[in-house]
Amino acid sequence: MTYRWDFTPLLDNWQALAMGAVGTLRLFAVCLVLGLGFGLVVALARRSRWRVARWVSIGFIEFFRNTPVLVQILWFYFALPMLVPVEITPFTAAILGISLNSAAYSAEIYRAGIQSIEPGQWEAARAIGMSGLQTLRRIVLPQALRRVLPALTNRGIEIFKMTTLASVVAYIELLHQGRLIASLNFNPLEVYSVIGALFFLFLYPLVRATYALERRLARSD
Amino acid sequence: MYRWDFAPIWANSDLLLAGLGNTLVLTAVALAGGLPVGLALALARLSGSRLLAAPAGLVIEVFRTTPPLVQLFWFYFGLPIILKVEMTPYLAAALTFTIQSGAFFAEIFRAGIVSVDKGQSEAARAIGMSKAQTMRRIILPQAVKRMFPAMMERSIELMKTTTLVATVSYADLLYQANELAQKTFRPLEVFTAAALLYFLIITLVSMLGARVERRMAQSGEMAR
Repeated sequence: MTYRWDFTPLLDNWQALAMGAVGTLRLFAVCLVLGLGFGLVVALARRSRWRVARWVSIGFIEFFRNTPVLVQILWFYFALPMLVPVEITPFTAAILGISLNSAAYSAEIYRAGIQSIEPGQWEAARAIGMSGLQTLRRIVLPQALRRVLPALTNRGIEIFKMTTLASVVAYIELLHQGRLIASLNFNPLEVYSVIGALFFLFLYPLVRATYALERRLARSD
Repeated sequence: MYRWDFAPIWANSDLLLAGLGNTLVLTAVALAGGLPVGLALALARLSGSRLLAAPAGLVIEVFRTTPPLVQLFWFYFGLPIILKVEMTPYLAAALTFTIQSGAFFAEIFRAGIVSVDKGQSEAARAIGMSKAQTMRRIILPQAVKRMFPAMMERSIELMKTTTLVATVSYADLLYQANELAQKTFRPLEVFTAAALLYFLIITLVSMLGARVERRMAQSGEMAR
């Protein structure tokens, strides 16, 4: 006797799933911008002239890379409200955990990109009278960013996958909604297969595009 | 101002340590299972036979592209319905992380194998070695050395990902921390302690890995 797959409860609940998808996309967009943006700040702080800035940046990167992101999310959700007198919503906790974690990872990506630019370019820019900041903005960063674009895209894909962790603090995203549907209709097999398939269909084209981008950049370098 | 009090955590430190033990067990099991699975997937993908390469490629891409928490829920809640067996949190976690890390390891193995100069396998074949012999004696020993840093990084990612099992109530470090936080009403101290424990273990492992890496690089130079 084989199991009879039945997708009708999922189709009937498409609105709940759509709501979850909106939640996933919203969390992803915020964490992508904050994570990759703040990562650049951390990377620049790491090469700062001030020792304190360098230390803080290194400490931040090491701590957030060497602890699990789920622990970070739960820390922000359950522990942080003890320290600060503000309410932390599941959305805020997920944003803090995922963005700071991604910032630590992307800071290392930016650093590798900036270091890959030959020192001669810095010297040449300074020789024609550019300030350090100008050199960074006009000469180094445009080239560095181009080189690390595939790595940043991969980070973006990781962020998208990480958004499912927000379901643990009951933020309404795809997996959270799936869980709800599964517990009401006793159809976990169909629900988690469909959710897995949705993520795969959305992310796999991006994965392929990143491969193609990598090959193109490798050729043009 | 909040007054920190770690006394309840000290009093229950055996709970956290038991959780840490379970985290390490699960990581070790997934690693021990994931490495052979990864090698098998990589060899299948490189085999040249479409019958082997296509399913291996599918497993690798699906497990690398979908969120690990969805995979875990699928194995824990979904799979028992097909197999009609009882699923324990441990079994679901071990299965999920073995296959998932296998998929990631497969791509590391593949990159390592491909990176070995083609002339070497041609030379090995020319002196009469079989394909399997060439792989085992010539290609893999060199590839493994090159793969080590990526393998190390993946293993650390694996240990961090095992925290997801707390959601299916496998008693890992994070699960125990959550229980303790509810019991003691001290979430700040408990989650901070748990984060520090993870930080210590992971930093230690990556420092050890870096050391082995340096050793390997040195011995490689001497051999040459």
